[in-house]
Amino acid sequence: MSHRLEFATAHATEFVDITDRVREEVRRAGLRNGRVHLQSLHTTLGLAVNENEPLLLRDFEGLLDRIAPAGAAYEHDDFARRFDVPIDEPANGHAHCRQLLLSAFATLMVEDGELVLGRWQSLFAVELDGPRRRQLALQLDGEFARGIEKESLQALVELELARQLMVDPEPVASPMRRLVEAGGKRLRPRLVQLTAGIGPHNDALRAAELAAAVELLHNATLIHDDYVDESTHRRGRPTVAAAEGPERAIAVGDYYFAKATRLIAQIGNPGVTSALAEALEAVCASQIDDVAMRGSYPGDRDSYMQVIRGKTASLFAAACESGALLSGATPQVVEALRRFGELLGTAFQMADDMVDFSPSSGKPVGLDIRQRVLSLPLIYAAEDRVVGPEVRRLLAGSLGDAEVGRVAELVISSEALPRVRQEAQGLVDAAVRELEAVELDGLQPVLVGLARSAVDRNS
Amino acid sequence: MSVHLLDRELDRLEGLWSDGLSETYRSYLDAVDHFDPELRAKLALAAALIESGIRLQGVGGRAAPPTTLLMGDLCLARGSRLLADNAPLPVQVAFARAIEATSAAAAAEQAPPALRQLLRKSLTATL
Repeated sequence: MSHRLEFATAHATEFVDITDRVREEVRRAGLRNGRVHLQSLHTTLGLAVNENEPLLLRDFEGLLDRIAPAGAAYEHDDFARRFDVPIDEPANGHAHCRQLLLSAFATLMVEDGELVLGRWQSLFAVELDGPRRRQLALQLDGEFARGIEKESLQALVELELARQLMVDPEPVASPMRRLVEAGGKRLRPRLVQLTAGIGPHNDALRAAELAAAVELLHNATLIHDDYVDESTHRRGRPTVAAAEGPERAIAVGDYYFAKATRLIAQIGNPGVTSALAEALEAVCASQIDDVAMRGSYPGDRDSYMQVIRGKTASLFAAACESGALLSGATPQVVEALRRFGELLGTAFQMADDMVDFSPSSGKPVGLDIRQRVLSLPLIYAAEDRVVGPEVRRLLAGSLGDAEVGRVAELVISSEALPRVRQEAQGLVDAAVRELEAVELDGLQPVLVGLARSAVDRNS
Repeated sequence: MSVHLLDRELDRLEGLWSDGLSETYRSYLDAVDHFDPELRAKLALAAALIESGIRLQGVGGRAAPPTTLLMGDLCLARGSRLLADNAPLPVQVAFARAIEATSAAAAAEQAPPALRQLLRKSLTATL
């Protein structure tokens, strides 16, 4: 990571304390352990580490003046003997000689995110021919703590989403903006961003563009789902279909499906484009299966697994795969992350199914039952020796409030929810094992934490 | 150009193929002449799927019923995947923009652009 520090000086000789600015650069970059290298880009600007005590700085200035006095004769200042002298060339032989006594370079160590400096040490840029505007080149290398950048990464995605929606025609942008602003867990974009930090080409802006496109794609599929499921609310707000009618919902979903695929293609990585295109196809194919299976509601575990692999897990897998591909990670790492995403997505869907039976979730209990949405707790309850016969009988008839409430009670009273919870946790354990087989440059704890929190939730 | 090359790509869409998708596919064959021979069938099918998908969904008209909408979604997704795997980037971008223009017009309740013309033009897109 490299860039420039710029500042202006006000005096002919001046000690500019740049310690705090370098500290800030280390903090912003998230450098945990490593080095900061600085280099003066001028022949009359030096670097030094010493004590910031005003009288001592005057001593240094006096020392430099005694060794290379400003009023002395310097051959460098004899312009008649030099070639190609610019018209504004200053007589500054003394400043060049003084700079030779200092250094043009400094390297400071960083430990636990802090500059390693003694109690009295400060870092100075030493102006020897001011006043001028000055530049220092700065490079940081070592181990960067990605976890602490979480807020910044999320902010980048939100900005990118807002930027994309800002340029779209209002009839499509307005409904999508309402959906995006209503929240959502943003797990898919988070996975893209995290995995995009793994390989050698770690570019946060490109990763945010891809992450935002993946979130738009996900939301486009939700808009069509809500029409198909006849859902009236999502994230606490009316669905696009409920608020603006099915025609508008279909058009908005198509617009953002197309826009997201275009943004993904324009990132210019064919592997990324193909991975996400395949995932989208799997999502759409499994939606057809999902609806078809409602005829034999609640279905069985095998059918359920087949549907959620396409409907949910495929986009989680592609989010991880595409981030890793974007970063130039090795094929082994890309494949491990793809499997991690697939297992996590499956576990996430199971955890999401359980939310339908949680009174503290903020959603009406039993909404999935009412809409005959595929649900693993319901499948297990229907198979249960004790409650199964009543569950199956109720699901075979029409589902009013009383029936939905009774089915939810039966599911909660059975072993279905603990069984699903255990299965989801087992899948997360398997996902974590995928990460253990490859080198992830310090990212493993962040991914493990995200995986555990994605399935350990009440809402 | 043999249709059996496309068998895998017609999985789940066999009914649509015999119900008009094949004619739509043939209508694009002359627009893919400038591509490598092994890509032509796939790109013509991609265009046909996207046109059929938009029409199935009822974009710009009356909304399709849910199951038809989902079939339209699958057509769009498969068409996009075929483009992702086989088309140059400018063609992928042009197709996406064609869908954006059509759906934006529908959302604004304006007359949609001529879709087939737009998609045929997309097949000639260059940088």
